[in-house]
Amino acid sequence: MAAAVLSWALRAARQVLPSPCPRQVRSYYVDWRMLRDFKRRKMAYEHADERLRINAIRKNSILPKELQEVADKEITALARDSCPVRIRNRCVLTSRPRGVKRRWRLSRIVFRHFADHAQMSGVQRAMW
Amino acid sequence: KDKSAPSKDSTTEGVTEKQGDGAETPKQQLLDIIGNMKVEVSYRKKLQQLKASKYKEQAMNKLEGLDSEGSVPWGTTEDTLRGKPLNPELVKAASAVASSLPHNKKQTESELLAQLRRHEETTDKQKKGETINIRNVISEMTVKRQSPAQRGARITGRISLHLDEDGQSIRPERSSARIDSRRKAYIYGSLKVGKRLNIFTKASREPEHALKTVSSPTIWDLEFAKEVAAVTAQPPRNGFEEMIQWTKEGILWEFPIDNEVGMEDDAEFHEHIFLEKHLEAFPKEGPIRHFMELVICGLSKNPYLSVKQKVEHIEWFQKYFEEKKELLQEI
Repeated sequence: MAAAVLSWALRAARQVLPSPCPRQVRSYYVDWRMLRDFKRRKMAYEHADERLRINAIRKNSILPKELQEVADKEITALARDSCPVRIRNRCVLTSRPRGVKRRWRLSRIVFRHFADHAQMSGVQRAMW
Repeated sequence: KDKSAPSKDSTTEGVTEKQGDGAETPKQQLLDIIGNMKVEVSYRKKLQQLKASKYKEQAMNKLEGLDSEGSVPWGTTEDTLRGKPLNPELVKAASAVASSLPHNKKQTESELLAQLRRHEETTDKQKKGETINIRNVISEMTVKRQSPAQRGARITGRISLHLDEDGQSIRPERSSARIDSRRKAYIYGSLKVGKRLNIFTKASREPEHALKTVSSPTIWDLEFAKEVAAVTAQPPRNGFEEMIQWTKEGILWEFPIDNEVGMEDDAEFHEHIFLEKHLEAFPKEGPIRHFMELVICGLSKNPYLSVKQKVEHIEWFQKYFEEKKELLQEI
């Protein structure tokens, strides 16, 4: 009976227990700008539905114009960080705002570094 | 013997049809003749065996019952009595065979037909998948228990194996192997058939009930469990174990990739497309209705949202327009 109880407890604990194998975990952001970008992304995700619906009312030729003006005012009243336009695709490792390739989310310098050390799967130096 | 001849001809015709249309080489004709000869011999032997087995095993009641039916013609009534009517060719063959034998013709014919019928019943049962007690089946029947036509075909098949087109290589092993495998399959059959030996007992269900009565584990139990897990969980020895661990944690996807992981949309297609029932709260005419119908049209074509999300979308608009009602009425 004790063994059964123990097995039940083990099953429950396994979900709580973090992995015992040590692995590098990113607990800090490279710089504050990266942090702010992260916050903007979070907010944009939260308000995405609302913005979509209000914009659907605004960009309309059927509804009366007064309604659309009210919708305009509403959308400007939302938090500034909630719009997706403010998100900048920064490099994930160095937080570089320019020269970032979207597929790898890395800046060109980091990409080159890893590719030369053969740490990018399927990437080869071009030669033709 | 006249009756037996047409039956043999029918078997030969069947055999030649199987072997092919054009190539009636002299060798094939020879084969046919040999085949027929063998069939003749086997007929006799088989019938003798059948009769011997029947006289031993069948109860006298059955015989008396058959006799008591008396003057009624055997073939037709017996066919119609049982459920599935026998193949008329088989019936003809049985009657021909019975007539060729010296003993009581009517009795032998009835016995043969009964055997055939039983055979058909067992094959039907096997097809339907009912559990058959193979031992009973075997005890009832004799070893060579197939209808004469099938038997003839089999033997000709064997002969054709024996002699190749060149007439040089003889392969007895193949035919014998075939026979052995067939016999084995016949005897051992399916796994679920046969008497239960009761070697393995089902685990009793008491410990499950005992578990439920115990209260939830205390903090000490949890801590102990955590310690044990930390000790037993060794770091992965190789890449495979590492990948297994990652899959358990959720870092690595499960292969083959299931595109619908996490998406449990149990709604039918009509709930996605026919969304007009949600539009009941809106006014039936006017620009708002027009607008909402467009919204619904767009939602019905959207495969990425679940039904819940779509309903929420419509409800949001409902709330929004209700708030702006006074404004709308001014217009």
